[in-house]
This record gives sequence, C-alpha cells and structure tokens, in this order.
Amino acid sequence: MSAVIEIEGLRKSFRSLRGGKRVAVDGFDLLVEEGQIHGFLGPNGSGKTTTLRALLGLVRADGGRMSVLGEPSPELLPRVAGQVGAIVESPQFFGNFTGYRTLRLLARAGGVPVSRVDEALDLVGLRDRGDERVKGYSLGMKQRLAVASALLKDPRLLILDEPANGLDPAGIREMRDLMRSLAASGVTVLVSSHILGEIQLICDHVTIISRGRRVATGRVDEVLAGHDRHEFLVRVAEPERAVELLRAAGLMVVVDAEALVVGGVTDSTVISRVLGEQGLWVGELTPLRPDLESVFLELTGAGEHPSLPRQVDHATPLPGAEGDLIDLDVRGVDA
Amino acid sequence: MNLVRAEVERLSARRFVQLMVVLLVLAFGVTAATTLAGSHKPNADEVASARAKAVEARRGMESTHQACLDRQNGLTQPDERGDWYPADCSELDPLRAERLPVAADFLPGVFSFAKEARPLLYFLIAFLVLFGFLVGASYIGADLNSGGVVNLLLWRPRRLTVLGAKLGTLLGGVLVVSVLASLFYLATFWVIGQTAGLAGRLSGDFWRSLGAVHGRGLVLVLLATAVGFAIAALGRHTSAALGAVAAYAVVWELGGRLVLEIVDARRPDLLMLSSHIGAWLTGEARFWDSQLCAGSRPGVTCEGFYSLTWGPALLVLLLITGGLTAAAFAVFRRRDLV
Repeated sequence: MSAVIEIEGLRKSFRSLRGGKRVAVDGFDLLVEEGQIHGFLGPNGSGKTTTLRALLGLVRADGGRMSVLGEPSPELLPRVAGQVGAIVESPQFFGNFTGYRTLRLLARAGGVPVSRVDEALDLVGLRDRGDERVKGYSLGMKQRLAVASALLKDPRLLILDEPANGLDPAGIREMRDLMRSLAASGVTVLVSSHILGEIQLICDHVTIISRGRRVATGRVDEVLAGHDRHEFLVRVAEPERAVELLRAAGLMVVVDAEALVVGGVTDSTVISRVLGEQGLWVGELTPLRPDLESVFLELTGAGEHPSLPRQVDHATPLPGAEGDLIDLDVRGVDA
Repeated sequence: MNLVRAEVERLSARRFVQLMVVLLVLAFGVTAATTLAGSHKPNADEVASARAKAVEARRGMESTHQACLDRQNGLTQPDERGDWYPADCSELDPLRAERLPVAADFLPGVFSFAKEARPLLYFLIAFLVLFGFLVGASYIGADLNSGGVVNLLLWRPRRLTVLGAKLGTLLGGVLVVSVLASLFYLATFWVIGQTAGLAGRLSGDFWRSLGAVHGRGLVLVLLATAVGFAIAALGRHTSAALGAVAAYAVVWELGGRLVLEIVDARRPDLLMLSSHIGAWLTGEARFWDSQLCAGSRPGVTCEGFYSLTWGPALLVLLLITGGLTAAAFAVFRRRDLV
C-alpha cells in the first residue's frame, strides 16, 4: 500500500513574547497508508492539532519532513490540495449564511462544482437543514457542516480533527458510519480524537502522541495486543483457598473486591485445571483484554520524560505514569 | 477568478460592511434632506440684488487694492483715511484672490452647487476614508481571528494568493462603492441646485477642479483601505488597526507636534501625516515657518509660509501604505496560523 501521509522527525516549538519556548511537537513520525482509517490520539495539548496544522501548511515546522499524497508538504501541497478534505479544530462560519451558501462559497473558492454542495450536505445529514442560517445550528450541526465542507472536494484523503466534538450519541454513530462508508469507497481517513472508544470502533490503525512524541503506532489490535498483560478475572466459591492454590502453582493473584485477577498465564485452562483438581469449580473465567483507553492512559505518561528516546513505541509504562494527563506544561523543555 | 468571486460574496455579506453602507446612505440622506429643506429657488429680484452686491463687493476689492497702491506710490498719506494696508499690495489684488465674490455669496438660504460642491465632496471623501479603513481592517481582522482564513487556506494553500485576492477584492469593492456613492451624491446635489437653489457657474474649470478633487479623494480612500487592511493583518485583529491609528493620532500628531514645537524644530508639519493627507487632497498645503523670515531685512517682503504640494505628499502616502502592505504580506507568508 502506498503512503498517503508521511511525517518524519517533525519538530515545532512556539516562542512566547517573554522569550519562553514551548515544545509542541518533538521529532514526531506518522505514516498513514492508502485506505486506512487511522486514529490519531493524544491528550489535550499533546501536539495533535499542531501536527495536523503543520501537515496542512498552517504552521511552519522547525524541522522534519512531511508529504501528503506523495507531494512534499507544505511546498507542493497546492498540487494535491484539491484531493485533501480537512477540518482543523472547529472551523467558524458566517452565522448569517445558510449552510448551503456556506458550502457554495467554499466550492467556488476551491473551484469545485456547486452541484457537490447538495451531495456533501446529504452525506452529513444536513440536506433538509441546508436552507437554514448557520447561527441557528447546534454545535453538532456546525460540526457536520464542517465535515461537509471537507467532503465537498470528493477527497482521496480526509483529515478530521476532533470531528465528534459537540455531537450527540446519534450524531457520533452517524459520523462513525460516514467514515466507514468513506473508507469503504477508498477514501483514506486520518481522524484525531480523544474519544477513545470511538477510535477503537472506527479505526483500523492508530498512532498515539504524547508531549509531541509518538508513543505507539500500528494496527489497533496489534497495539492492544502489545499491552496485553495476560490477566484473567476469576470468580470462585472459596476465593481464599483459590488464592493459595493458584499462588502455589506459580501464578500471580490479586484479590479484587468481588473476584480474583490472575496474571502470569497465557492459557486460561491452566487456571481451571489448578482449581478443578482441588474441587474448586470456577464460576467465571474472563480474559482481561486491554482497551484503547487503558493503553492510551498507560502510554501518554511516557512522553513527559525528555531522557526517553524520541519514538517509544510499546514503551514500558513508567512508575506512576498511568493516567497522568494533568500537567501538560512543557515550557522549558529543550527540543 | 473563482477565489475573487467568492471573496466578493464574503465581503458583501459582512454585517459590518452592510452597516457601514447603511450609515453612508443615512449620512448622505441627512445631508441632502437638510440642504433641500434649507434652500429655496431665488426669484428674479433676489438674484438681481445678489448680483448687484457681488459687483459692488468686487468694486470694493478693486478700490482697496488701488488705495493700497496709491499709498505705496506716495499719492496718499499713511493716516489720511485711517486704513491699514499690507506692505505688499499684491496681497489685495483681486486678480490674485482665490475667488471673487459671486451672486451666490449674497443669497442667504439658497444652495449653490458651484459654491458648495467642493466642501460637500470633502465631507463624502472623509466618510469614505473612514469607511475604507474600517471595512479593510475588519475584513481581514475578523477573518484571521475567527479562523475564516484558515478555512480558506485549507482549500487554497497559497497564502500570498489568498491574501492578495482578499486585498484586491477589498480595494475593488471599496472603489466601486466610492465611485458610485460619490457620483450619486454629486448628482443629487446638482439636482438640488437646479431645482431648489442655484446651479452656479459650472464652467469647464469648475468640473476639472472638482474632478481632480474627486480623483485624489478616491486614491486617498484606497490608501486608507489598504492601510487598515495591512495593520489589521499585521496585528491579527481589527482592533489593531483602530488602536494603531488612535495611538498615532495621540502620540505623534498631538504629543509629537507639541514636543517639536517646544524644541523649536523646523517645519514640524512636514513630519505629520495629516499635512500630507491635506496637501494631497487639496493639491497644495501652506504652513507657517517661523524661521523663514528670521534673517530677512526690514522692508523686504517675507511671507513666512512654505508649501507642501501633492507630488511629495503622494510619495509619502504611497511609501507608508506600500511599506505596511508589504510588511503584512511578508509576515502573513511565514506566520503560524493557530
């Protein structure tokens, strides 16, 4: 499969008027191949939007190499801009324009046939509301309009920054279906989000960024498998005795409030055999698979240590790093 | 071309632009209505009386000039009539007067197009300069601030083309509005003069002179528009342009002028933008130079005035506008749009 987006060693820092420097992206790599629905995850302030803006020529990178649809970006981005639909954060529209007029204006500016406007409105479910003024739209409807504007060009590549912002559950589901149908029709989709469940449902590939650095990338199932601790949830009639038996068999056991969490074993039959041989019958034996949220929380703490290598794919979680998404101020960190 | 068409639609759809056009129409309507209400068509007696008064006033000017010459030539004694005359009698020469009294000067309550067209045009130009500056500043300032420019750049990732299309569309739009407004404005007052006042003496010289003011005024409107656009683009906000102009007016035109006068700087007016704007619009501006006559011998005429003509004034205005616009494009080309 050919690469649709390639980013190598992207660096970007912002300077404040007081002379301080904030490193937004620090040697970041990204590869999106044709036909993928690629999730781009990261906590707020991790560098997602800066990366997308740099890719689309809206901010100047300090270093690194980028290409979109095979053309170096931003130098030759205009060559392929007609095939790239993008929304970056929530675009603003004229409140007193109708949705239709808003898209018609963009279509004209981009040299796209105006006939595409109805199709784009149809795709995002706004066909019936296209004649209404944008200022009367809900946040979710404005977000749909933004997506419609990205779809106007009939793009080969769709870049969506937080497309689910403001959408209700039904809207999120529609957006998910839309992305799937677009991918099925051959459109490559790069979608950034921090709604992890959605990404897991929609995307086949994922890249996780934290503090401007890539901390994981690959197929979603591979990334999840890489963080599988091979643990099982066990419910049994005599938990105290079960703990003794399992530990005696060399397994790691943690007593939870209502059940046991057994680790250090890949085959669940080992657990049932150890307990069954002693007359303890297992009521429940469930493998504890990591979900994207747990992997995300585990990984996004890794980037805060500048001494770590630039790319820390499948990094071992650092002590105390789990869930640490609060302090995002990286001022003073050298690039 | 598509980009320009889209920009024309965006520009015309802006609420602020629409509001300014409404204000323009209102100001125009109020001026026309008050002029119409305060004027009447003079009857034959009023016209004859006014003409007689004008002739008398011209004769008075000639006799004053002659009296000055008589005293200068020693034909009359200095205190014979108790009048004061300047050392240079040519100052009183009717032939050198800016304008001679005409009948319209002696027709109170009668609007004369020939007499009032120029000040009316100055008023309109002042409004259009304000219109152009504010519209120019808000057009790019609001777009940069709201993310409209980013949205456009996602479609057309050519920054200079996008900014150039915006500026070109803006200048074209303001020019069209200005030309239409000024022509309609002058035509309306011409009709008022014809129907409810006096047309006055509308010679070829009059139209040439009015046309020159009109043309220079339109150039000034375009320069103000470009300056508003450029400062707002540099500062990313509409308010940047408003703040810069307010700061310039207070700090330099008022404060700077005061300081220059205290330190007795020579010709401080040349350092003021307002002087150049006035010189460009009127064709020539005259300023007092206190040091010009400092070394002159007694008895030798020294006026103490110097002139700033439209040529150098235009050059200064073009340099400032061009510099700001070039800076805006250079900064926008490299700026991070976050």
